[in-house]
Amino acid sequence: MITFIICNQFITILETNEWSNPLKTYGKKPEERAGHTSVVVGHKMIMGISRAKDKKRKLTGGKRKKWRSKRQARIGRPPANTKLGPKLIRPVRTHGGNTKYRALRLDSGNWSWGSEAISRKTRILDVVYNASNNELVRTKTLVKGAIVIIDATPFKQWYKQFYGENIGDKKMKKKEKENKEKETEEKKEEPNQKQLRQKWKNKNERKKKMKKYIQKKVKRREGHVISKQLIDQFKKGKLFASISSRPGQCGRCDGYILEGAELDFYVHKLKTKKKK
Amino acid sequence: MTEQNQRAFQKQKGVFVSDKRRVLGRWVKGKSRLVKKIGLDFKTPKEAIEGTYIDKKCPFTGNVSIRGRILRGVVISTKMERTIIIRRDYLHYLKKYNRFEKRHRNLPAHCSPCFKHVKPGDIVTIGQTRPLSKTVHFNVIKWEPQQGVDAVKQFRQF
Repeated sequence: MITFIICNQFITILETNEWSNPLKTYGKKPEERAGHTSVVVGHKMIMGISRAKDKKRKLTGGKRKKWRSKRQARIGRPPANTKLGPKLIRPVRTHGGNTKYRALRLDSGNWSWGSEAISRKTRILDVVYNASNNELVRTKTLVKGAIVIIDATPFKQWYKQFYGENIGDKKMKKKEKENKEKETEEKKEEPNQKQLRQKWKNKNERKKKMKKYIQKKVKRREGHVISKQLIDQFKKGKLFASISSRPGQCGRCDGYILEGAELDFYVHKLKTKKKK
Repeated sequence: MTEQNQRAFQKQKGVFVSDKRRVLGRWVKGKSRLVKKIGLDFKTPKEAIEGTYIDKKCPFTGNVSIRGRILRGVVISTKMERTIIIRRDYLHYLKKYNRFEKRHRNLPAHCSPCFKHVKPGDIVTIGQTRPLSKTVHFNVIKWEPQQGVDAVKQFRQF
């Protein structure tokens, strides 16, 4: 075991050592494997959860008689119930030798901003709504389709870099704004660009590229609008997002930022909940 | 919107609801809606194209494909939400007596909201899909409304 710890990220590598070497869990006895509950009687392993339909009643209501024992290929496993917390993921050996990554605790994920077509890795701050079960909200369980609050900073930073202005800056008159920003950006950009421009020897080339760069950003800003609700969220630093991955299956909590009609819908739901 | 009556936001899987830019594809009255042809020369109902309902199990606007058997039957019950029970009559031959006997089977099928006002006695064409629930493996793809209350009790072989 490697014992040096440089930053928080390394701790997580240690924790997920078994993730990189799934054979470690495979060699273990069934009871020792995380998330696997089964009764071992003698040498035989009797599985707990079965996904076979032979225990279900018929459409007519009649009982089905048991004619075969449980099969390993038809097993189910206990749910992950992924919670908010420092990352803890366990690999599970599945049918065919494949692995599933059962996330038991997660704190960050890859979130995409649909209308801007970008995604960034951010922390999950809170679980806020779950259409299926309020209990899952109370226990802060991360499941697909849950509405969470994520940290907005990486998106803010991207926005600034891409559009050249902060989200929620009050809109001045177009011409005034353009002129002002051109001036401020030219001043701001020069010190940063100096490092890059060591290669560029020609002064004129430099000027041209600088202008182009600013013009690009100005062009991007033209006619570009963000809804007021999103701006408010960005100002607070917290965005509403929906989980679209399955943390108990792939070990990741990824999703998309709520926008438009969907955002309105869930905000309304939360408001009515609060009132109650 | 009347279609947002569930606890979760109802939307079609392939449609980006919040897309500011123009959605390339089927534009229907200013709204982006995913509609598809199910093949086998079955016409997509007008209601499926123009309606606003969200049904992931609808053959025209949802995520199911019609493949396998195509059957016809009489509607018996429409009491369930978005599913109906169909009755299929057939004759079973008895070799000893050289005669037939009447038999029937009931089939549950998913009925998309594009088929409004389906009532017992109507004739319906259903197509096989992947299992949509424990008992439902068929989807209504064509609806022929019938008049007359006794249509349910008649023996009709298709």
